[in-house]
Amino acid sequence: MNKAITFILIFFVTNLYSQRFIDKKAEISFFSEALIEDISAKNNKVSVVYDVETKQLVFQLNISDFVFQKPLMQEHFNENYLESDRFPKASFSGIIGELNKISIAKGILKIHGESNEVKVKGSLVKSNDNVILDATFTIQLKDYNIKIPKIVIYNIAEEIEINVKAKLKEI
Amino acid sequence: MKRILLILLFSPVIIFAQDELIQLLNDDSNYKISSTFKGVKIVNSQSAELVSKGDLLFLIQHRFGPLNSGAYNLYGLDNAQVRFGLDYGLNDWFSIGMGRSSFLKTIDANTKIKLLSQSKGKDFFPFSIVWYSSVFFKQSIWKEMQGLDYLFSDQISYVHQLLVARKITSAFSLQLSPTLVHKNIVNQGEANDLLSVGLGARHKLTSKFSLNVEYFLQLNKENSINPLSLGVDIETGGHVFQLHLSNSAAMFERAFIHETNGNWSNGDIYFGFNISRVFTLKE
Repeated sequence: MNKAITFILIFFVTNLYSQRFIDKKAEISFFSEALIEDISAKNNKVSVVYDVETKQLVFQLNISDFVFQKPLMQEHFNENYLESDRFPKASFSGIIGELNKISIAKGILKIHGESNEVKVKGSLVKSNDNVILDATFTIQLKDYNIKIPKIVIYNIAEEIEINVKAKLKEI
Repeated sequence: MKRILLILLFSPVIIFAQDELIQLLNDDSNYKISSTFKGVKIVNSQSAELVSKGDLLFLIQHRFGPLNSGAYNLYGLDNAQVRFGLDYGLNDWFSIGMGRSSFLKTIDANTKIKLLSQSKGKDFFPFSIVWYSSVFFKQSIWKEMQGLDYLFSDQISYVHQLLVARKITSAFSLQLSPTLVHKNIVNQGEANDLLSVGLGARHKLTSKFSLNVEYFLQLNKENSINPLSLGVDIETGGHVFQLHLSNSAAMFERAFIHETNGNWSNGDIYFGFNISRVFTLKE
């Protein structure tokens, strides 16, 4: 009985003092080398939260916030490939290792309604009062059921490189 | 036992924490609905879609003769009307354009202004509302005009439309377009101002293929027939091909809404197409 109370107490205490960092303007960009022209887009309205105690890391973004150089590409991205009407958000939810130059995050990446387990290497360092996160990884379009028709002027590659940059502040 | 108890106690905590973390991120997310229609035109009339900022759209519209004109005219294919148009997006909510139709040798200059966007989330709004105005100038031969009491302004007519559209599902969009056409000069006994209501719809069958329908109900009409058009949109990346059948051969509002003489039941059906190509000019 006493033990149970201790557990509850521990839970409350950790919850109260758990250190959390947040960034609502993180940046995720992707790049794909293609035959006629390279495709790149940037989203700087990404939300990230990191819990030091539980090592939880959660990302969330709106697909329609990705900005392309060409408006037509942006339209095709939303309408034909990512179907942002049906799947408006993408997210990552997982656990990240210690604050370090080389840290590994493991979790579920959800894009286009498809969830996959991913392991991403990146850096998670503390500088002053902020936590700086930087990671680059690649994903396969077929893992997320993103179909590219054969007759497309862009010749989109099957593999996309994704870069994540965030500067989290304590809440 | 202790270990199990520990796991049992902690696992809900972690799940709870994760939900809580996501809740921290659940924000003021707010997004505008885009791509209500594939092209800037449904068939003949304007859709609530604008050319994006910095994009130049080149539009070629083509209407053949009536299908009931017989084998001698290859069911209309021997005759053709054409309109060339250019539209440019000065901003995402503001575009300008001009064109010329071979039908009645008319030059048009237009502007489209997006007043409100259909949005989800914090700034929820159920419709996209676009203002469209165009001025039509009928070219005349100078010789014809000499000696006649015929002013420059007599060659001009206008259209003003409010395009109210809603993307009801990701595949189905509907548009209502109250329309006013003003003619500076008319025959005796005819009205200068003509009112109509347009109805347009688009149903996407695949991501690159859709069915369109367009109808105008004339509220005060003068011996002309309400235009009904059916079409398909085929998107191939940079181009949109629109193929359609209509009882109107004209391609500007004044003419296709209020000067249509074709009757579907008589076989006065015109086959036609629009081809658009987008060029991104901004860097």
